[in-house]
Amino acid sequence: MTPAALLETASLMGLFALAGGGYGGLYSIGRLWTRPGLIQAGGACWIAAFVIALTIAVRTPLDVGWKLLILASALVYAVIPPVTWRYLERLHDQQESNQ
Amino acid sequence: MDIEDPSFWRAGAISTTLVMLIVLAFLSIDSMRVISVGGANVPKYDVINHRIGYEFDWSRNASVPVIGGPEPLFGKAVTEAEATALMESGKLVIQSRACMDCHTIFGNGAYYAPDLTKAWLDPAWQQIWMPMTGKATREDAMVEFLMHPDKYPTWTRAMPNLQLTEDEARATVAYLKWLSAIDTNGFPANFGPSGQQP
Amino acid sequence: MYRSQKLSLRYYTAAIALFGVMNLFGLLSALYYLYPSLLFNVFNFNMSKIMHIDTLVIWLLMGFLGAVYWYLPKELGREVEGMWLAELVFWVFCAAVAVVAVVFLFVQYGGANQFSLWFINQGRKYVEAPRWAALGIVVVMLVFAYNVVATCIKARRMTGIMWVLVLDLIPLLAVYLDAFPATTNMSVDLYWWWWLVHMWVESTWEVLIGCVMALVLMDVVGTSRRIVEAWLYIEVMLVLGAGILGLGHHYFWIGTPQYWLSVGGFFSALEPLPLLGMVVHAIYDAGSHGMKTNNQPAFYWITAEAFGNFIGAGIWGFMMTLPQINLFSHGTQWTVSHGHFAFYGAYVCGVIAVLYVAKQQVSGVDVLTGRAWKWGFGLLNFGMIGMVMALLMAGMAQAFFERAIGGSTLMAFTSASENPWFKSGMYARMFFGVVFVSGYVVLVYDLLTAPKRVPAAQAQPVAA
Repeated sequence: MTPAALLETASLMGLFALAGGGYGGLYSIGRLWTRPGLIQAGGACWIAAFVIALTIAVRTPLDVGWKLLILASALVYAVIPPVTWRYLERLHDQQESNQ
Repeated sequence: MDIEDPSFWRAGAISTTLVMLIVLAFLSIDSMRVISVGGANVPKYDVINHRIGYEFDWSRNASVPVIGGPEPLFGKAVTEAEATALMESGKLVIQSRACMDCHTIFGNGAYYAPDLTKAWLDPAWQQIWMPMTGKATREDAMVEFLMHPDKYPTWTRAMPNLQLTEDEARATVAYLKWLSAIDTNGFPANFGPSGQQP
Repeated sequence: MYRSQKLSLRYYTAAIALFGVMNLFGLLSALYYLYPSLLFNVFNFNMSKIMHIDTLVIWLLMGFLGAVYWYLPKELGREVEGMWLAELVFWVFCAAVAVVAVVFLFVQYGGANQFSLWFINQGRKYVEAPRWAALGIVVVMLVFAYNVVATCIKARRMTGIMWVLVLDLIPLLAVYLDAFPATTNMSVDLYWWWWLVHMWVESTWEVLIGCVMALVLMDVVGTSRRIVEAWLYIEVMLVLGAGILGLGHHYFWIGTPQYWLSVGGFFSALEPLPLLGMVVHAIYDAGSHGMKTNNQPAFYWITAEAFGNFIGAGIWGFMMTLPQINLFSHGTQWTVSHGHFAFYGAYVCGVIAVLYVAKQQVSGVDVLTGRAWKWGFGLLNFGMIGMVMALLMAGMAQAFFERAIGGSTLMAFTSASENPWFKSGMYARMFFGVVFVSGYVVLVYDLLTAPKRVPAAQAQPVAA
């Protein structure tokens, strides 16, 4: 890996995880306050994360296995916030109906 | 399957943890085989009787240590038992002086001073400290430096004097030479003139 | 108030005092980078660094112990068993810490023999304390384990959280025994040393703080037991599922076989995923109770923990965890940046939250709010973010100039450390370090001053 590629790859990896986190955060806050705008902004963050993952796959000298792992985790990022949210809602709803 | 039921997740937590621990146990047993002294990656202590190099290996895509012909440390070949005694002493120096709270070895430790993984192979011994200390060999220059590091500063961040005796300094040099012969999967990369990726 | 909660307050006091000592030596360690001749041959960088990281371990450990002693009687509905022993051990613990500190400050190091390892300095990062003191910590932890288990037995009651806690104590103790060896072979030495450091920090401590946070959530926002337990199990499953083999990211370069590059890279790349789930969970919990809480500072610090853990461990770790990058970033200030952020996010924020829980009960107010805690919160977070950004800049410069271009020789190390990017990073770190410490001062002030009395009906919304 060349020195420039090192910094570029690491920065892209960091931005990828940051965008994924931004998606999770905005999505959840959007659901909490029922603000569709925030949920859409979260979606935009996820698209950014996916584009970054594609950029990593195309531009960086990482081994192909790592590129696939990053692309796969981009897809997993997409489902974590809604699935977690729905699960938490179910858990709380069930709790309330029990009470 | 009731995913709202905590016991579902309890079963998941226990089984995941057990599976991971079993895999870790197997990998650890195998790793011990490879990193024991004389294993595939860690040479015997008497490797210090040989020349040690660090060269880029295309098949591994990484720099690897290369054990060459005879080049005894301090000009005198040692037996395996003597080498082992030297290493035990050298390791005790490294722990008792808390070397790894300024330096790193294999990149582990503190980051105030340079990494020591391949310190034996550092061109600075020939380029800087042999002329500075007036010693004819790399190992003698290293001993002199380790005993009086504050007399030979090369930079504002100098090494303090940790009161090493001559025996301790010689043991440390032996330890560093052995350390440089360990296969570390190419860490550090591009080290020195010989380890550069062509 | 239970007797064990009084002990808990003592642990908290000791923890917060050692937090201060850690800050002090953190500032001093940062200062050596700017003024290398500082205290040269009198008190060198390595000793300052030892004080900085060993007090970090001890104060967090004391915070955890305090938190468990706090919640144990509440959870089991009875006083903790064997309190006299626990109280005795607390004082022994404090005395041992003080003796070790005096030895580190004034004796510092000894000759290359077993005596030095037993009585002066073991020279193994994070566990430099001499062996007798390490044995002392084992005794403390054994007494702690006895307190927990005996109380559960006497109470004839086990909750899910208590099961997780008790089971977690076994590896917590077992891997600590790793603090003792002086294996000659450095590869083997580091192999087992990482079991201690990684399994404490990235596994058993994560589980321990998970238990503490579960108890805090029930306490502060009133989440039901069934929910926190389900969530705790999920957390344990994900943290240990990724974390146990995530150990592999420490086995890239210590002489271990090549397969660790794949194993370690894969599992540590998974680590951000459960942390993202925790962020979602934190936000959900914040909202599920109409954004109201009776303990505003504790609530904010728990939320900061979820975010800090994701950013510090998740993002910062992910950036540098793949072997192709780690080959250059490992062992530079980049690692320092990650280490600071991850410890802070995962543990410091959580321990501060439990301190505020205790404050509320001690001062007997229905609603804990005020202004000073906000300053503490702001300054500590701002200072930490500033420090890690500065260290990231310095670390990237070091990886670039020393590792990738220079090839890690002495000259490469020297010239990278003289590089303006690196040097300005070090100055910025110092500045933000001072900001952080001022946040600490406000935090201590706020914890010690009596809170304003606000009627329960005016429970503060936690967000606008």
